[in-house]
Amino acid sequence: MNPQAAQPLLVVGAGIAGVTAAVEAAEAGRDVVLVERDSAVGGRVLRNHKYFPKLCPPSCGMEINTRRLERSPRVRVLTRCVVTKATKATKATKATKATPATTATSAPATAHGPGAGGGWQVTLTHLPAYVTEACTACGACSEVCPAKVPDPFNLGMSQVPAVRLPFPNAWPRRFVLDRAACPPGCKACVDACPAGAIDLDAVEREETVEVGAVVAATGWSPYPLEKLPELGGGVLPDVISNVQMERLAAPSGPTGGKILRPSDGRPPARVAFVQCAGSRDVNHLPYCSAVCCLASLKQVLYLREQLPETKVDVYYIDRRSPGRNEEMLTRVASLDGVRLIKGKVGKVERDGGGALALRVEDVESGRLLTASADLVVLATGMVPALAQDPLPFAFERDEDGFGRDRIESALVVAGVARRAEDVAASVRDATGAAAKALVAGRRD
Amino acid sequence: MASVPLVLPSPAFRRELARRGGATASRCYQCATCSAVCELAPSDAPFPRRQMLSAQWGLAENLAADPAVWLCHQCNDCSLRCPRDARPGDVLQAVRSVLVERLAFPAFLGRFVARAATTAPLLLLLPVLFWAALLAATSHLTFPSTLTAFEEVVPHALIYAVFFPVAAWVVLASWVSGRRLWALWGAATPRSGSFWQSLLPVAAEIAGHKRFRSCHAAHPRFTGHLLLFWGFVGAAVTSGLLIVGIYVQGLAMPLALSHPYKILGNLSAVLLVVGGVLLVAGRLSGSNGPGTSTAFDTYFLTVVSLVILTGVLSEVGRLFLSPAFAVSLYIVHLGVVLNLFLTLPYSKFAHLFYRSLAMVHQRMAAPPDAAAPPAGRDRLQET
Repeated sequence: MNPQAAQPLLVVGAGIAGVTAAVEAAEAGRDVVLVERDSAVGGRVLRNHKYFPKLCPPSCGMEINTRRLERSPRVRVLTRCVVTKATKATKATKATKATPATTATSAPATAHGPGAGGGWQVTLTHLPAYVTEACTACGACSEVCPAKVPDPFNLGMSQVPAVRLPFPNAWPRRFVLDRAACPPGCKACVDACPAGAIDLDAVEREETVEVGAVVAATGWSPYPLEKLPELGGGVLPDVISNVQMERLAAPSGPTGGKILRPSDGRPPARVAFVQCAGSRDVNHLPYCSAVCCLASLKQVLYLREQLPETKVDVYYIDRRSPGRNEEMLTRVASLDGVRLIKGKVGKVERDGGGALALRVEDVESGRLLTASADLVVLATGMVPALAQDPLPFAFERDEDGFGRDRIESALVVAGVARRAEDVAASVRDATGAAAKALVAGRRD
Repeated sequence: MASVPLVLPSPAFRRELARRGGATASRCYQCATCSAVCELAPSDAPFPRRQMLSAQWGLAENLAADPAVWLCHQCNDCSLRCPRDARPGDVLQAVRSVLVERLAFPAFLGRFVARAATTAPLLLLLPVLFWAALLAATSHLTFPSTLTAFEEVVPHALIYAVFFPVAAWVVLASWVSGRRLWALWGAATPRSGSFWQSLLPVAAEIAGHKRFRSCHAAHPRFTGHLLLFWGFVGAAVTSGLLIVGIYVQGLAMPLALSHPYKILGNLSAVLLVVGGVLLVAGRLSGSNGPGTSTAFDTYFLTVVSLVILTGVLSEVGRLFLSPAFAVSLYIVHLGVVLNLFLTLPYSKFAHLFYRSLAMVHQRMAAPPDAAAPPAGRDRLQET
């Protein structure tokens, strides 16, 4: 076995894809360094109320994975940690070996030098550990904290203390402190902590690791609502995004799981879903994010369960429900008070009486409608994190910003970093990515 | 057994559209954003989503029988928001350009003007040469050293001898083409009520550019177009008044600058100049809003600009510059005005006629109890 194959894998991002890739590789016998920018693992999936099509809570899936993480001595989980520098390790041996013609044409990877298949020397930056491992998650700090910040877990829809558990069931179970929000000179949490776990003077720290291959599982962020002002995004309070709807429906959300209009806190009597809001659109995201159709159908079922009298209209261009998801589409489409209407909404404006007016052509009847709704959900798509930040490895990206594997440089992408897809597909993809990363280290 | 509707796509029509700037129709995926953002689309027959489908399939008959093609004012609000950059505004302009040619009477003149990209030099030159030749043949082609009125060189009788028949011809050609279009629309949608009663409110709408005003993306073109429109109306009225002035009132030319007819004429010229400059400057600086210019647009704008330019310069030349220069320009002016007249039914100018007709049809086709188009959007019925 060549020595580099014994080097650990680096997995960047501890969402469902990253965690899956990490435990799969570890269970195959490889050491793994799993790096996560946030203070806990889980990523985007934990912000969902339920998964489609089975409508089970995402915590089940994540619980299994965190148990696998805990049980796996081969995975080193580093939260609040980012990759700041990476250089391809140059190896004297086999450096002159010719690159196979196929790889040379398929990817311009040779820029990284002749050490094809060689490992990476990576600088990791640990963000300041204001709350140390001594934290017992007792909550005494949160009770005394005078500063309030918008809760990032709830997408800013509620306020939380600057020091807090980032979300229920966070793993590692450790509090986090938004240091920038601290009032000058305040030490309330330090004084309150019985475990002495708070260090207001903590500093960044760097660490260098040698890894055999890298898996980027950096995931996505929701397309910003503010970029859709013509649909009321960022302008009208009762126009929300699909990811916000997940938080409204979730028991751990800002409303304790009650679907209420942001403007007046009342349950909506009419809800409209606007599909492809900023997706499949050259002015926004040109691609289909693959999950929004099913996500909206799922959210219709949240409404049905919670507010059975509420009328729901879903405006779509195409109804994309491949495979077994077709059943969910049929089920939702047959519900009383639910209409699926073919036509992309062009405008959302304020109507009289606090309602919203949607302008849309009902393509099947060929008539222009002004439809009324109390709450409008924009089915916004996924922006790959790699589009903004290719990481210091300079991942190759397609025209939409999704990453591409570069096996000969030991760079692999997993989950939504590769393509927009649902959770199940992301997990499958991550398993494959783990296999590719295991092989990439052994190439030469 | 029920008959299966037969759809006859025409690849030739698709190619024709593509040649005139409508190739982007093939990108359309029928999401209907365009219809939803159009301020002019009536709720019972929204456009341009359906027209895009017809353009994409090459369904020429559908488009010919569809007044919506003309109700579109090319604001390009749709093109701005189109998620596929299929540019419905440009596609409908290409459709109109093809229809103008196909409706043309006689057909060869339609073809000649439709190929303005190559025939423009001939189109522009021939009428000027015609005037030069006519003046030479009637021994009027002289360049005097002093000039008080153009009539000293070009007698009014000669002008009217040319323009009366030409105007009659234009009316006839437009009438034949308009009849064809009117019949196509009528076959697709029955009309009721009086043509003339419907024409009046349409004229009022056009006078204030009511629909154009509601376009968002085309707003930079609004003022220029309105001024140009009223400039042309003013010039036409002035011409009519002058005929009365010369032959009924026996007025001597040139009229004093303070004469009401002269004031009206010069005011019209100012409107034309300001409107023309606004439109051309916007076109050149790219600030006219979205939309791509084709030969159809450029040729028309060129002719209009030349009419204004030569008209104003020959008056300025007569008053302040050399008589020879003024007379030369005046002859060119007569030529381009002749061009404007002769190509009216075959150039973009035809939109004035066809669009007005479509607006009349829209009123007559609306059910008697319907709200005046394009107001009154549907409320989705609660189930």
